[in-house]
Order: sequence, then C-alpha cells, then structure tokens
Amino acid sequence: MIARVILILALQTIFLGGMVAKKQYTHNTGTQILLETQPIDPRSLFRGDYVILNYTISTLDLNQLEGDNEFREHDDIYVKLRKGELYHEPIAVYHEHPGAESGEVVIKGEVNYISDQRWDQATEQYAKVLEAGIEYGIENYFVPEGEGRELERRTEGKVDIRVAVDQAGNSGIKAILVDGEERYIETLF
Amino acid sequence: MNNSRFLKRLKKDMPEWQKSGWVSENNARAILDHVAGQESSTNTLAYALAILGVLLLGSGVITYFAANWSEMSKIDKLAILLGSLYAAYGSAAYLLDTHHSPKIGQALILLGVILFGANIMLIAQIYHISEHYPNGVLFWAIGGILTAYLLQSQPALIAAMLLGLLWTGMESFGFNEIHFPFLIMWLVFLPAIYHWHWHGALHVALITLITWTVFTWFSIDYYWSKEGYLYLVQLYFVCYLTLFVLGMLMHTSKLLNEFADPVQNYSMLGTLFSLYVLTFPELQSGMTSYYHENYRLPAEPVWIVSTLVALVLLAGLALWHRQRVYVKDRPRYLLYAQILVSATIALIVVNLFVTGVHGSWIALAFNILYFSGMVWLVFAGMYLGNRFLVNIAFVYFALGLLTRYFDTFWTLLNRSFFFMAGGVILIVGGYLLEQQRRKITAMIKAGGGKGEAP
Repeated sequence: MIARVILILALQTIFLGGMVAKKQYTHNTGTQILLETQPIDPRSLFRGDYVILNYTISTLDLNQLEGDNEFREHDDIYVKLRKGELYHEPIAVYHEHPGAESGEVVIKGEVNYISDQRWDQATEQYAKVLEAGIEYGIENYFVPEGEGRELERRTEGKVDIRVAVDQAGNSGIKAILVDGEERYIETLF
Repeated sequence: MNNSRFLKRLKKDMPEWQKSGWVSENNARAILDHVAGQESSTNTLAYALAILGVLLLGSGVITYFAANWSEMSKIDKLAILLGSLYAAYGSAAYLLDTHHSPKIGQALILLGVILFGANIMLIAQIYHISEHYPNGVLFWAIGGILTAYLLQSQPALIAAMLLGLLWTGMESFGFNEIHFPFLIMWLVFLPAIYHWHWHGALHVALITLITWTVFTWFSIDYYWSKEGYLYLVQLYFVCYLTLFVLGMLMHTSKLLNEFADPVQNYSMLGTLFSLYVLTFPELQSGMTSYYHENYRLPAEPVWIVSTLVALVLLAGLALWHRQRVYVKDRPRYLLYAQILVSATIALIVVNLFVTGVHGSWIALAFNILYFSGMVWLVFAGMYLGNRFLVNIAFVYFALGLLTRYFDTFWTLLNRSFFFMAGGVILIVGGYLLEQQRRKITAMIKAGGGKGEAP
C-alpha cells in the first residue's frame, strides 16, 4: 500500500511540477514584450476574481498579414510580432514556428474562430475580411478579490500587459501595467 | 456480532492461528481486508460522515486559498498545496496499511483526489493559465482514475466519473461538439467495476453515460440540422436497446450476472425515453417549428453508417443471447422479443432512407412499437423478477397514452370538453394502471420472478 501511495504521489507531483516548470521556464527565459489590451469582465466562482484580457492581437485580419492564410478552428497558429513604437505588432502568421529574426518574437496561439466578414460601424455594412479569433493562453489574469472589477471599470486608464514569450512560442503574463506603471508583477518569491 | 468487534477479535486471534499453521500470512491479510471492507450500519454511517467531512475540508481548502491568495508568495502557495496533498495521501496510506480505520483511509484518499484538483486549479491561477480550460478537469479526472486503480478506491473512481462528466459537459457546451472522447474514459471505468465488484460505481457510471447522451443532444445545432436530432435520437434508441440486450446476455453469465440488473434498468430508461421521443409525428416529418417549413431529408452517410453498425451489434447480441438460452428453456417472452427486435431493425432501416413526407406513417409505426414494447417489458419484468422494469413500463405506458391524447384531441375537441374528458381518463386510467402495476409487482415479490410470465 505504501509503495502504491508513493507511486500516486510521484505521478501527481511530476504532473503538477511539469505545470509549474513549463510556465516558470517561459517566465525565466522568455523575451519580454508589451501587448495592448481591451479588458472585459466576468467572475469565476471557482477561481476568485480575474479579468479577461482581450488583446489587439486576439483578432487578426489574415489578408493584411504575410505568411499562411488558410486556417480552421482549433488550428495552432504562430504569430510573428515586431516591436512597434510602444507595442509589439503582428506582421505574419504561420502554421509552423517560422523562427524569429532580431527584433522579432513568435507567439503561439490557437484559432478559435474564422470569419469572412466583419460589421463595419462606419459604413454600417459588412466588410469582406479574413478574420481569425486567436487565444494565446494569456487571456485570464487573477487578481486579489474585489480588484478585478475595479481594474475593468477604469475607463480613463490604459491597461497594458508585459508578456514573456519563450523560444517555442509559449507565453506567460509577467506584469500588468496601468497607465504605464507596473501594478501587478509576477515573481516566484 | 458488531463488525468492528469481530474485526478486533480476528486481529487478536489471527497471529495465534498463523503460529499454529492454520492460516498463511497472505490469507490472514486477505481475511482481515475482507472483514474490514464489509459494511455494518455503524461503519456506513462513519463512512458517510467521513466522506462528508472530506468534502467540507476540500471545499474549505479551496475557498481559503481563493480568499487569501494575494497575501502569500508563489512558492508558499505551492508548498502549502503540495504539502496538503502529501498529508492527505500519507494519512490514508497509514490508516489503510495498519488496517486501523480503512473507511476513514478511503475517505482520505478521496480528499487526496480533491486536493490534486485544487492543486491543478490553483497552479493554473498562480500562473494565469487559461489554455483550453476543460483540460484542467480532464487531468484531475485522470488523477482520480489512477488513484482508484492503484489504491483500489471506489470513492476515487466515483469522483473521477463525476469529474469526467464535468469535463465532457464543459467540452460539449463550451465548444458545441459531440464529445466522443468521454466514451473512451467511460470504458476505462469498467475493468475496476468488474474486478472489485463496485456496484455503487456501476450505478454512477450508467448515470454519467445517460447524462452524456443528453449533453450530445444539446451539442447539435438545431437550426442548421433538424435531421440531426431525429437520427441522433434514433441512434440513442438502438444503442440503449443494444445495451439492454447486453444486460440480458449478462444474466446468462456467471461472472457478469451480478451487474446485469443495473445495466438493464438504466439502459431501459434510455431506450424508452428515446423511443418516446421518436413517437412524435412532428419530429418524424421535420415540421417541428416555425423555422422548419420543409420535410426532413433522408439520413446523411454518417448517420446511416453509425446506425447500421449499432443495428448489426444489436442483432449480433440478440442472436448470441438466443444461442445461449436453450430451445427447451426459452420462455415465450423471448420469442416475442425476437419479433420486436426484428420489427425495430426493419423500421429503423426504413426510416434512414425516407423523407419527412412519410413522417406520420413512420410515427404511427413507432407508436405501435412503443406500446407493444411496454407490454413486452411487463412480461420481461415479471419473468426476470425485476419490479423496476415493470414500474417504468407502466409509467411510460401512461405517459404515452397521455401524450397521444393531447396530440389527437387538442385541436379536435372543445377545450372544456377536452379537459373534462382528460380528467376522467386520468382518474380512471390511472386507477386501473396502478391496480395492475401493484398486482404484478406483488406477484414478482411473492414469486421471485423466473417463469411466471407467459
């Protein structure tokens, strides 16, 4: 019995350790980039307070970008970003990791929808596009209870996210910036 | 003798018996395990309280962390989470290994499973992980399954089943797809149930299977695929009927006989509900709503292939059962079953290839099958000594009658007359049906079934 309990504990510890190690590796070795967001809220009973982060790179018009443009729902997608004036901005999308040159970063995501039209509020008509909705696994940020709603109600302040992206394209949130100042910073200790 | 006192006495006497060479060390351990595992009412109460305590403790840990999250560093959080996991499994190992309180030990294993899930969720929270959120529950369920198999824990397996259900619910409703991988997980539950005779887990497994089929119903996009609903329910009907025949087959096996009744009972619930849905003319024609003005089309290849495979399986199992029950022993209710199964197969095959133009005729045929099936089920329940089958046959018989009464007379009769007549039918019909049901279940109780039906 003791041996079997040790085996269970070993397997579960390896799994949990793997979860931690994967994210910690991205945090420690990844290139840090700044992404622009538009936050929106809900609240999870299970997880306490958190904000849902909607990045400007969460919705891309594939026709405007280099690389591949045939994607389906649930496909992996690699988005090549280049540093702009303040934020990293998308320049190309691929099915496979394309490798990054100096000043570029490749972030991995999953396509959650593809649409060939978008409602244009200016013309009040549908415009022809090839739009992909993408999730990068950095859409949730957990904050101390009660602060999530406050963070999202901020209409005057600008919320930006500093993200670490490792060589494989995996990403993790390093810090939340409100009006350019670091408000929440991720550290191990 | 009280079970715990008996166990105490055994523990005291066993070393003497071993010394005398009457009992080997392995056998002594097996006997003590067996007696410790037997339930007395006191034990059951202690077990239930321990499980409740574990659930309270588990939810307390989760809510404590949720409330005090910001005040701890990541490394502290990880240390506390892993420490509590180790403490739960460690205490369980001690109690089970020393045979001190095996029931409490099992409850602590369940606590370990809960804490493993809390660890996954809270690490996801620490690192703000949000990739495909059902995966967290999937890994939690896998942890539960591993624990159940390695530590022979029925509570852990039941927890894994419920987590599997939560996982498939998240996949079905969150991503709008029929979630077949749940069936693979479901099959993984079965060897443990069979090997360790876990009847409680079998009931939960069958309930999760039925619930999964309900989830798949909601995963189909109704407005785009009205045919999908009909052919899916038809497929459910054939699959649950096949499972019922499998239950009959299990009755003929010494090894599986003990599991046959729950399999038959739950599968018959699924069979009758699907068949009940198939009796509606609107569904058969495809004219189910304002959005659907055209008749439904014949089945697409995916439905034809899956339904035919299920029908072949049904016919195969029915023939196997026929072969196992010798001709001289074969009761008449089985002969009627052959006719019903043949009629079912013919009707289902025809329905795959016709359009909704023939919907009313097909619905009529399903209604005949439905009511004949109820009569047969009463016979089968009487023969098998299974009161549950008789009871649900009466319930569905009444439900079918009531539904057809509404269908037929709602538009034909004056409303006040409709309700008056309906009331009279309900009172008189309900009384007669209840009398019959009581008579038959009393006969089963007195005779114990087997051979009393024609």
